[in-house]
Amino acid sequence: MLYFKLIKEKIFTSLPIVLLYFFSFYHFQIPEVGKINFFAFNFQMILIYFYILKFPEALGFGNIFLAGIINDTVLGIPLGTTSLSYLTLSLFTSYIRNATLRSVITAEWFTFIPALFFSNLVYLIIINNFSNVSFYYIELLQNTFFTFLFFPIFHYIFSQYQRLISKD
Amino acid sequence: MADYRDDFIIAIRYALLKKSAKQKFSLFFLIILSIAIITLDKLSPSIIRPVKATLNDFVYHVSVLSSQPAKLKKHIVQKFKLHYNILSENKYLKEEMEYLKKQKFNNAYLASENQILKSALDLSIIKGLEQDFSISAKVILDQASPFLKSILINKGTQSGIKKGMTVFSNDYLMGTIIETNYLTSRVLLLTDLNSKLSVIIEDTSINAILEGTGKKQNLKLRYLPENYKPELNKTIFTSGKDGFLSPGIPVAVTYLNKKDKTLIRLLGDPDQALIVNVTNGQIK
Repeated sequence: MLYFKLIKEKIFTSLPIVLLYFFSFYHFQIPEVGKINFFAFNFQMILIYFYILKFPEALGFGNIFLAGIINDTVLGIPLGTTSLSYLTLSLFTSYIRNATLRSVITAEWFTFIPALFFSNLVYLIIINNFSNVSFYYIELLQNTFFTFLFFPIFHYIFSQYQRLISKD
Repeated sequence: MADYRDDFIIAIRYALLKKSAKQKFSLFFLIILSIAIITLDKLSPSIIRPVKATLNDFVYHVSVLSSQPAKLKKHIVQKFKLHYNILSENKYLKEEMEYLKKQKFNNAYLASENQILKSALDLSIIKGLEQDFSISAKVILDQASPFLKSILINKGTQSGIKKGMTVFSNDYLMGTIIETNYLTSRVLLLTDLNSKLSVIIEDTSINAILEGTGKKQNLKLRYLPENYKPELNKTIFTSGKDGFLSPGIPVAVTYLNKKDKTLIRLLGDPDQALIVNVTNGQIK
């Protein structure tokens, strides 16, 4: 019985890692609404920011690095680009975690802006200097904006989930 | 001020180097590793290429597996739509078949006339073109990316596919091969921003470059003559000036959108492509 309980616990605590890898392998597409694709947001960034900030033991840096490499391979961009971008986000998030004493969702939400900024800056610099791929900057801006906008929703979902598994 | 700076440095150092109980690697180490990988990828030494090709093949196949539930959902929705529209489609197809039957005789006459005229002028469309390669491949992945519009096919260098080869779907040009692995290849679609194709507009002698914008319903024509506006319902063909593609392959068509603006859309639909043909530049 204890053995099953341990397995169950392991499965529940591994869910963020599973989600991180799954969305690196599979990039979902939701139809555009009008001219703007409202749902074009970066789920992995929200996941990394939340878990590094609140439950760093649930998401290892090694997993983040590997998920980034997979993401680059699937999307066909220079290897290591997304990894470095995610690790920059992790670095910034770790700094916020160490620098803040009391966590408030609004403060976490707004500190997500510089975190996203630095991580996307790294992404842009690498794409522009290490590859011949060109893309619309407005799309990256849109993607970043909706990533920021959806953060509270996922914050709530992840918090509830963590509360639920800690009860068990 | 000095205290604040010290705190900042301590916090950054802590974030970079500290490993908690569950962390196997420090952030600093992984950042350095990422930079090393980016540099190696850029330099692309010959030792790295087979490793990268193997990694690509492995990741693509796992990615195919992970996208199966979404594919199943898409398949169910498509089947449902197909059954829903089958009556109207049947009526439309019957009308189209009648029209095509009439056109067939006309085309046969024009083709024979064209052959006679070409032989009289000593021109050959196959001159200078390698026309000895054609292989069918299955689209295994069409992952949505906000940046790169590409698809993955299940044939690679093992099947003789090389970079730069052209890809067709239902006789319509789809894109070109930009990356080859042993078992898979990546096709850059015509809709991608990085795609450029030399074309000619129907009933004119105007040459232009067809450029992707990320959307299949809105492509752009570059280097058009000044004050020239494309007319409606004009097909855009490959001009063959790149020396690789055969001339006269239909690529796109001009149309009027809801806001009465003339736009260019692809003839083929990259989202619907399941089986594609990879060739040396000609339709097969």
